Amino acid sequence: MARWLVGLKLFRPCAILIEYKDQSRKSEVVMGLRLYKEPRLDNPVLIACWPGIGNIGIIAVDSLRRMVGAEDLGEIESWDFFYPRRVLIRDGELKELEFPSNKFYFKRTEKMDLLFFIGEEQPTDGTKVYAEGTKAYRMANLVLDVALKFGCRKVYTSGAAVAPIHHTARSRVWVVPNREDLIDEVKSYENTVLMSDIEGRDGQGNITGLNGLLLGVAKKRGLEAICVMGEIPIYIHGFPIPYPKGSKAVLEVLSTALGIEVQMDEINALVQQSEREIESVYERLPSEIREQLDKLKYVAYARPSEPEPITEEDKKRILQEIDRLFKKEPGRD
Amino acid sequence: MSERQPFKLFIKPKLESSSLVIAWNQDAGRIGPKVTDYLNKELASRELAEIDPEGFFSLSGVSVEDNIAQFPESKFYWCRGKSLVIFKSDIPRYEWYEFLSLVLDIAEKYCKVKEIYTVGGMVSPGAHTTPRLLLSVANSTEMKRMLRQYDLISDMDYETQDGQRPTFSSFLLWAAKRRNIAGASLWVPVPFYLFAVEDPGACKKVTEFFDRRFELNINFADMNDEITRQDRKIAQIRSQLPELDGYINKLENNLGLTVDESEKLVKEMEEWLRGGH
Repeated sequence: MARWLVGLKLFRPCAILIEYKDQSRKSEVVMGLRLYKEPRLDNPVLIACWPGIGNIGIIAVDSLRRMVGAEDLGEIESWDFFYPRRVLIRDGELKELEFPSNKFYFKRTEKMDLLFFIGEEQPTDGTKVYAEGTKAYRMANLVLDVALKFGCRKVYTSGAAVAPIHHTARSRVWVVPNREDLIDEVKSYENTVLMSDIEGRDGQGNITGLNGLLLGVAKKRGLEAICVMGEIPIYIHGFPIPYPKGSKAVLEVLSTALGIEVQMDEINALVQQSEREIESVYERLPSEIREQLDKLKYVAYARPSEPEPITEEDKKRILQEIDRLFKKEPGRD
Repeated sequence: MSERQPFKLFIKPKLESSSLVIAWNQDAGRIGPKVTDYLNKELASRELAEIDPEGFFSLSGVSVEDNIAQFPESKFYWCRGKSLVIFKSDIPRYEWYEFLSLVLDIAEKYCKVKEIYTVGGMVSPGAHTTPRLLLSVANSTEMKRMLRQYDLISDMDYETQDGQRPTFSSFLLWAAKRRNIAGASLWVPVPFYLFAVEDPGACKKVTEFFDRRFELNINFADMNDEITRQDRKIAQIRSQLPELDGYINKLENNLGLTVDESEKLVKEMEEWLRGGH
């Protein structure tokens, strides 16, 4: 569906409205970017995130936003992207129709200026959970329109990496840049792995939804972008529960990348609470399943950025165990 | 780059101002479609426009309901000689806001619509013999004030519960409000055991409102016949199945049913009213 920018006008102080006309449908569809203010920002870095598996990215990015005290900047008007989520009727009158929010925030810090974008839902063209198709592409472009308007040259997105790890293990962070010259940078962050470090992947992979798509659209529009994905155990990712341990790992990487010192108390508390909850479920699993899953504690499926010696024999044996375990388990993803 | 017209216009009625009644095919007790079909028949309406399903509906095949292949339909009708337009449609699967914008574009541009009503059924725990009510939700204080002169319950409080989403009619009312078009959604309670079949009594309640609001002089003979037929059939069921009669008696006396009792009532009613006995 072809759309093109037809106008940019002020419709309230410090606000812009970008209108798109849908050429194929003839009826005019107006989609708005609403900015509450227009701060002067110096080459800000954009950190953008939508919900995904274990809410890993969104917890990390939203924690960072709150920690740095980012201010409201604006929003993408949601009605063209989403079905409403809540209606409020009082005394027989429709008072409010609420849509998933898509908000921008900003913060000037000593080291660098920051822009945040946090979407409450991923826009889809159908019934899928993760964004795809025209709407996702339009939203990615709207987010980058704002980033470019404020002079942004670099974007971080965040999500989850489903990995054969145990929930007691520290999550690592898979990093995927959209340019080769960013490889050295992402390798320099502690506790990260590249796709090429992961056994059997040969540097290949796929990042589902907008957290991945934004990386590609940024590339198309000449922006550097890096997606940081916190690991979530393969046996947990299918459940609709958050996995703050993965978020914490992402937060640590973002903190290093952005040169911001962050307080981990809040996320540590979330990690502890989630571990207790997971552990209580884990203990109720049949012992034979638990024994199999316990083997994940000893799995090294990926080379760390600074390689440690793992014998080929060990690796082969462990991978065979994992393979056998998950082939046995019915109903796995 | 294709330039596709998203709708077909069949006639251009000369209207200076009109009201629009909207019904969605996916409705409890099929109240909306039944009411608009009745209005169209009684008022000898003509097809006015049709929205192309492409882009709004899944066109990967057809669904089959009651042995008949279905296809999404979104049609405007003009009630000749009246300032009344009817829109009957399936609820789109994609591009909801774009769809509603198109409905409102057509309504404003070709029909000069100034007022919108949506029709819908809502599940009620009561019996079919209790007096029928009609509830309204307006999208403005002015509209609410105007509706006061009719026999409506217009003081409803509601908030979407967790795990639920607003109705498409609420989305429409909100979109109409953004264009300063007055609107109201009308909700008629449908006894839960008639939910999957039809409820002509509920349909009549809504149709009576439109009759009065737009001075349509509707002939209710056919609708009354249908109500009589259904009432007789339910009376027959009650006399033949004392257990079901007991359940309905409980409802008539404002007593609740157990889950098992409710399920049995729904199942038996559906079988009998659909002609399974």
